[in-house]
Amino acid sequence: MTAAQSIDNEYEPFFAMARERNVIFYYVGYFSQNIIAAMSDAVRLQLSVSGVDGATRRKLFSSFVEMAQNIVHYSSDSLTSPSQADGHLRHGSVCISMVDEHYRLMCSNPVSTARVAQLRGTLERVRTMTLDEIKRAYKETLRAEVPEGSKGAGLGILTMARDASAPLEYNFQPIDSDPVSTMFQLVATI
Amino acid sequence: MENLFIAATPSSPEVSFDFTRHVLSLKGESYPENAAVFYGEAVARLRKYLSDCDGASVTVNVALTYFNSSSTKMLFSMFDALNEAAERGNEIRLHWFHDEDDDTILEFGQELHADFPAIDFIDEVTTSS
Repeated sequence: MTAAQSIDNEYEPFFAMARERNVIFYYVGYFSQNIIAAMSDAVRLQLSVSGVDGATRRKLFSSFVEMAQNIVHYSSDSLTSPSQADGHLRHGSVCISMVDEHYRLMCSNPVSTARVAQLRGTLERVRTMTLDEIKRAYKETLRAEVPEGSKGAGLGILTMARDASAPLEYNFQPIDSDPVSTMFQLVATI
Repeated sequence: MENLFIAATPSSPEVSFDFTRHVLSLKGESYPENAAVFYGEAVARLRKYLSDCDGASVTVNVALTYFNSSSTKMLFSMFDALNEAAERGNEIRLHWFHDEDDDTILEFGQELHADFPAIDFIDEVTTSS
């Protein structure tokens, strides 16, 4: 097999799929603050050359950062000790694609199975809220104490819900080889 | 009290608290990995400075082009401290800079204005580059 044939066989299906699904950005691997800052640059550049209006760009960027930082804060696949305040390296993936007229942001990372019920509860609650209710909940959370176990302010999900044009979608998939972890996927449509 | 200066990074703002001249500025992007750690010292120094202020006239400039959810929480507690100082008789002027089409930052500014009425709030609109 020639090099060209091998590229055709091995990479072309991957590129074809990405093209077909209008993938604008995809990253899988370990996330750190530096990697997020570099990805943010890439995403911003991509959005500015694509001619998206400023408001949509800001919403997309905001949700992108919240998703990426959720991975650094909460992914259960970690190379760093949970006791350190920052400098974390945690595994996950993010993807931005276009579906019809909308941008779709997806992220995925394993979480501790013990956290699933609470996370599901929060997401379900937010999913049923109107935009006004989301904004009100955001204001209340901003003024409240930081919930236990939260490294952010518990505001991340509300921020994504506020910026999205449809309710957030999510999924939890059991990991057979590792029952204490569950794969968490979150989708925001901007 | 010694001034506080923290240089900007791609994901954290320049913090310039010139306590001797009573000018406090935040400028840039704010999405540090751990906002509580990043803003921790600034908030502590600010509170200490404000506790010594008596009849002072303080100018606060906030020109953040983006802040993430956990930074929002820290900013809110900073403005809470400033509002308390204003209620005690200090004059606190907050210049709130935002891009003309940035509704999120505009709305957050309006909320601050409503929540912290003792602060003299000045909306500063900038145009996109």
